[in-house]
Amino acid sequence: MNFFKNLRSKHSNELTLAIIFIGIFVLMSILSPDKFLSGNNIKTMMFQMPEFGLMAIAMMIAVLTGGINLSITTGAALSSIVCAFILSSEFSQNNNALGIVLGLIACMAVAVICGVINGYVVAYIGVAAMLVTLGSKTLFEGLGLAFTKGGSISGFPEAYSFLGNGSVLGIPFPIILYIVVIIVSYLLIERSAWGTEVYMVGCNEIATRFSGINTKKTLLKVYIYSGVMSGLASILISSRYNSAKTDYGSSYMMQAVTAVVLGGTSISGGHGTVAGTVLAVAIVQVISTGLNILGVNRYIINIITGGILIVVLALRYITKVMEDNRKIKERAAATAK
Amino acid sequence: MKNFAKNFVKRKEFGIILIVVILSVILTFLSSAFLTVTNIMDFMKSNSVYGIMAFGMLPVLISAGIDLSVSATIALSAVVIGKFMLAFPNSNPVIVILVAMIVGAVVGVVNGLIITKFNIPPIVTTLGVMTIVNGAVLLGTGGAWISGLPQWWVSFGSFKLFGIIPTQLFMLIFAGLVTWLILKFTLVGRGIYAVGGSQSSAVRVGYNVNRILIFIYAFCGMMAGLGAAAHISIVGQVDPNTYTGYELDVISTVVLGGASVMGGTGTVFGTTLGVILMAVLKNGLILARIPNYWQKVVMGLVIIIAVSVDVINRKREQAKLVRVDVEE
Repeated sequence: MNFFKNLRSKHSNELTLAIIFIGIFVLMSILSPDKFLSGNNIKTMMFQMPEFGLMAIAMMIAVLTGGINLSITTGAALSSIVCAFILSSEFSQNNNALGIVLGLIACMAVAVICGVINGYVVAYIGVAAMLVTLGSKTLFEGLGLAFTKGGSISGFPEAYSFLGNGSVLGIPFPIILYIVVIIVSYLLIERSAWGTEVYMVGCNEIATRFSGINTKKTLLKVYIYSGVMSGLASILISSRYNSAKTDYGSSYMMQAVTAVVLGGTSISGGHGTVAGTVLAVAIVQVISTGLNILGVNRYIINIITGGILIVVLALRYITKVMEDNRKIKERAAATAK
Repeated sequence: MKNFAKNFVKRKEFGIILIVVILSVILTFLSSAFLTVTNIMDFMKSNSVYGIMAFGMLPVLISAGIDLSVSATIALSAVVIGKFMLAFPNSNPVIVILVAMIVGAVVGVVNGLIITKFNIPPIVTTLGVMTIVNGAVLLGTGGAWISGLPQWWVSFGSFKLFGIIPTQLFMLIFAGLVTWLILKFTLVGRGIYAVGGSQSSAVRVGYNVNRILIFIYAFCGMMAGLGAAAHISIVGQVDPNTYTGYELDVISTVVLGGASVMGGTGTVFGTTLGVILMAVLKNGLILARIPNYWQKVVMGLVIIIAVSVDVINRKREQAKLVRVDVEE
């Protein structure tokens, strides 16, 4: 009983999200039992959700510090383009395994560099994250375009497609990677000293600095982590498309903000959980896939997603106001006695 | 006079003027085509849309808000006036522009109402509204172009006063002038700076912050509507897909002009310089024969460097103030 009480008081937001998720899942299953609940569709969702989820986590950690990272998708595209150059080179055609490993290392290296650029300007120069990442978004996109001349790069070794399309023991590889990342992110963000610093910076950076924490280092690591997450997403994307291009995955940027906010992360920083973000990602994914299966126009799905974002936040505000009013009344009644 | 010059050099805008002048000198040497009236009018014309929207965005940024929905608003306004002109081929440009501005203002009012009534942060509200409006526009048009606009509209768009000054430049000047008048001479304008400086202080001073915020977003939407009219008058047809990503370009322009996303600062003069800088830069990259693909790299670098230099300067200034305090 105590456990449930604890769950309700401490994780009320995640609980609500979980109920919404189950509700929508059941609703979709009733509306289209043969198609939505089919093994094929569930598997498709499992292949699609991880890349979106990774982008959302990349966005979330920046938002936790009171910043934002608008460059996640173009940074991801840039790293996958660099990776693609190595994968499609003659060397990789001859040495498949070594080529793929080198490609992946290069991809993650570029992702880290992107993170360092963002993190350095945000943390050490002190520019607002929104502006820095607005600039770096354009910069990364430009570099990607300059490298590819606007086209796409393909011709990867066959084994590379496993990362985005393969399964281990019937479980899609992307979802395995996603689950590992969720656990690691949970441990790092909510259970490590660095994670606590991240929340503290999000609440009040100056107070955090005065309590003896090197906030610059903390912030730099935040943007590197954000870069690494989007880099991992880029691997899944390039493997699924079997090519790399600057605008692959570009729609994930705004969607990631939506999922992060829907998941209960405060846009001004300091509050939010990995579980909330993951649940919000699942909700958005089930809604879009489900409505798609029902034959709803793609544009209407967009309208619904935007509507949900505003309605959920409005409801959250209204319940908070009601709660506050109730508390005030209770206190007034107590003092009257 | 000496004092004036000294103050002017110290002002934020001075840096931007310096960059524009240096760029222009380099470009004049690189290409004889740069410093001609035709070229200047041409690139100002093609950048007028960003400029008009930037003037709308300026009050939003001053109030420490942000409006991501302008790209959806301009698309909606463009589609509405496109359909309006097909439905009423005997209308005239003034009515069309008014319709565009009203449509934009309505979207803006919705933004403002959601932000003030439900206390949802501007970035999230406008993101949601952007998704909804964009979806609605594409649903309504199916993404199809609207062409075959009436002849009077086409000639309105290609009209040039004295054969030099294009219509769109007048719209840009109008937008700048209105924004300047509001920010400089009205109570609302003062209120916008007050809200940006500190919202709770603005409330205590007695400003009706909610009304000011709704006004700001309505104004931003209205300018996006005017931007739609300007854009349609240049290209002569409506492509609802062409406006994605405009919001970030507009915000970059305002920020290059010295406004801070933290709110409280920003001037029409600065934004004007930001618009000119963007226009000169884009034109310069073309004239310097830099491949299209590298233009974004340059743009990105300029944004990052400009905002960084601004912050570094401000920090140095503050360090100086602290030292004065200690010495006294």
